[in-house]
Amino acid sequence: MFTDSHLPDANNGGIDRPPDTETSLSPVLELRSVFCAYDPIRPAIRDISFAAREGEILCLLGPSGCGKTTILRAIAGFEPVQSGEIFLSGRRVSSPSDAIPTEERHVGMVFQEYALFPHLRVTDNIAFGLGNLPRATRADRVQEMLQLTGLEGFERRYPHELSGGQQQRVALARALVRNPIVLLLDEPFSNLDPDMAGRMRHDLHALLRRMKTTTVLVTHDHDEAFAMADRIAVLNEGRLEQMDSPELIYHMPATPFVADFVGQADFIPGQVQDGMVHTELGEFPNTLDADEGTPLVVMIRPDDIRLTPNKSAGPKIVGRQFRGSENLYTIQLVSGQIVHSSESSTTVYQEETAVELRVAASHTVLFRTDQLPA
Amino acid sequence: MTAIGRHASFPLQLIALTGAGLILLPLGYVTVLALSADPAVWQRLWATRIPELLTNTVSLAGAVAVLTLLLGVSTAWVITRFDFPGRRLWEVALVLPLAMPTYVLAYVYNYLLGFGGPVEQLWQTIAGPEARIFSPQSFWGATLVMALDTFPFVYLLTRGALLSLNVSFEEVARTCGVSRWRTTFLVTLPLLRPSIVAGMALVVLYVVSDFGAVSLLRYQTLTYAVYQQMTGRSDNTAASILSILLVVIALVFLMTERWFRHKSRFYQTTGRFRTPTRIQCGWSQTMLFSASLAAVVGAAFGVPAYLLVQWSLSPEALAGLDSRFFGFVWNSTFLSALAATAGVLIGLPLAYLAIRKPTWLHLGCLQAAYAGYVLPGPVAALAVLVLFLQLMPVLYGTAIVLVVAYVLHFLPAGLQSLEPSLQQITPNLEESARTLGLGVQAIWRRVTLPLIRNGFIAAWVLMFLQTMKELPATLLLRPVGFDTLAIRVWLEASEEYYQLAAPSALLIVLVGLPALLLLLSRDWRAA
Repeated sequence: MFTDSHLPDANNGGIDRPPDTETSLSPVLELRSVFCAYDPIRPAIRDISFAAREGEILCLLGPSGCGKTTILRAIAGFEPVQSGEIFLSGRRVSSPSDAIPTEERHVGMVFQEYALFPHLRVTDNIAFGLGNLPRATRADRVQEMLQLTGLEGFERRYPHELSGGQQQRVALARALVRNPIVLLLDEPFSNLDPDMAGRMRHDLHALLRRMKTTTVLVTHDHDEAFAMADRIAVLNEGRLEQMDSPELIYHMPATPFVADFVGQADFIPGQVQDGMVHTELGEFPNTLDADEGTPLVVMIRPDDIRLTPNKSAGPKIVGRQFRGSENLYTIQLVSGQIVHSSESSTTVYQEETAVELRVAASHTVLFRTDQLPA
Repeated sequence: MTAIGRHASFPLQLIALTGAGLILLPLGYVTVLALSADPAVWQRLWATRIPELLTNTVSLAGAVAVLTLLLGVSTAWVITRFDFPGRRLWEVALVLPLAMPTYVLAYVYNYLLGFGGPVEQLWQTIAGPEARIFSPQSFWGATLVMALDTFPFVYLLTRGALLSLNVSFEEVARTCGVSRWRTTFLVTLPLLRPSIVAGMALVVLYVVSDFGAVSLLRYQTLTYAVYQQMTGRSDNTAASILSILLVVIALVFLMTERWFRHKSRFYQTTGRFRTPTRIQCGWSQTMLFSASLAAVVGAAFGVPAYLLVQWSLSPEALAGLDSRFFGFVWNSTFLSALAATAGVLIGLPLAYLAIRKPTWLHLGCLQAAYAGYVLPGPVAALAVLVLFLQLMPVLYGTAIVLVVAYVLHFLPAGLQSLEPSLQQITPNLEESARTLGLGVQAIWRRVTLPLIRNGFIAAWVLMFLQTMKELPATLLLRPVGFDTLAIRVWLEASEEYYQLAAPSALLIVLVGLPALLLLLSRDWRAA
């Protein structure tokens, strides 16, 4: 499975080879089989294991209630773990028996609503966690952060005198000023209007790259995750479904849930015959090595289907959604099965047009029918 | 233009203007009386009474403020941040002292802390037969009684602020490497500051305008002095000079309260927030908290209530429960009902016009009605008294003068119930009723009145119950021989007839409880 793709393959176990550089260094952040529960009957997160590399931006992606914020809060030390362990820079910070308090974990966190101290000015908000430093050093560090986040000139303002974007930058500066081991961001763009969110996303990405801070970002928006992340962990109902690069998550989803959650996906039923998967859209390689006669589904993305009008073809267009940069067509096959195809913005076909479909995928994603949600 | 047409709004305006005039005229008259007084009177007062009275008033207010700060904030903290058996019970019990008028608490403490009283006896068994405790009739006695009676104001406001405080503020502080303990001082308390200060300003306002406790404890404050000037010396000019001083002090604190309350809005984050997880208490902590809360609630409500019940059941008290007693009950009820009805009838047009047609005239009338807030009872009595003596001396000594003083004094409390209930009705409702073909009167009857009924009833009940326990204005303005429950308590207690005063006091406390429920239901949120 893709979830395990960064671990050495089982069949390589016997071969004596130099260990992977990534696994030899102790990771900045590691979760080992972590369970957290609000009430003991229904765990909020179950058996979560992953590790973050130095300087990496990791996205926890999932629908609301999937437990992504719980993971973030467990790393920060706000949620006790029921079983499993959490390590920060090789130090065990959470286990069922003991937990290092938040203030000694050296993490930075930006809350969804920023939680800027309303009684403190911008500079005092940023300097809040620098109480142990000499005054001059403190001022230097704050100045540095103001520069990095482009907040010069706002030093004397109170939080309620700032715009949403500025508030977010103050929260970010406050979290980063102590050079945390890991920066935790909880839905950082959800309180901004879409236009501002796009700009802040770009700025934040550039800033994190420059600071080389290991970052865990929680979001429910796959576009945001694709734009920001080096790797994405997709969560569903408290479980880790897949952890991979954005490209692999999109093109090679490990489960139907992931396939569906990160973009438009159609599932075409088929059957294994003579070593190939036969479907209404053609034949696909049997990458699952399933037995002859097994029913399977092929996942197809709209950008993998090309259409050309052909009066004698069976499938026909039943809907068009104009999306600015593309047209998304809904096509009904002869069997009644619905598929989608994205075409260029200027290619316009009328509804009821009969079209011929061609699947142009460089890879095939197959699922067993029992994996599909009921 | 809303549902009331031009022809309908004129009588309303007339009532509103009369109401505002009724309130502003006495106040203005007292001011004129004070300012036009012979400079020699001012000089005499400045040289003799004022420095002492100011010092006494301000130091009492200061000491009570500090004590209520400690009591109010610590109890609110325990209630909102810890979980232990009985917490919900204490949460409500801590508000009960507000049902006890200051003169009732003062009279019970006169007995408790008095010479040879139970507390002194207890203390002597511990510290030896010659040990003494502080007298209730002293600065410390007055401070203790006033603080026990008013700390719920600070408790309520702090509790409310703690419950709506976003826990993210504390969590983010801890991710900044600040310990739980320091977070409390660097983040939580500063965020609570506006609410705490608003609560303390209410306490101070209450203390400087209190007459009942300081008169029974013989502690000289400005309010008490106004009363003494009016009764002992019949010197209304001197009384009005002291009154003006008092109004200025009250005004300062009222404005402080408003300002901080306004400021606290910045301190609440919008959007989603989590309440902090309560700390589960072990048995030793539970014992500690329960004992402390029991001590506070016991001292402020439990013990006094117990004594009142016990005294009421004594043979002397039971013998006093004759037709005379029921006459006092009737007098109280009658006066209160009259005042509450008049208050609602005057308050409703004032609030309605100010909300629906916020012209400067209408808003001005409403603000004028709130002026009663800064008038301590004796001052309200003085204002109404001098006005009637000037304009309609015939009415002097009748219940009418008294009712006018009550309305002047308690209209703000009624308006605070009326205003929100009117604000909840959008003009769209009345306008859509119009499009459905209803006339002005039909709209009032079928739309507006049913919607404001609850606020209306609440305002009436509040004014009724406030009037029930009113003491100084009644004492100064009542018709000869016309006693109310509050008067009986005060008169008997002044003579240290503890048992005789008890039934009336108990009745006042009992009818005060529903008022408390009503006040709380407005913005109570279970923790």
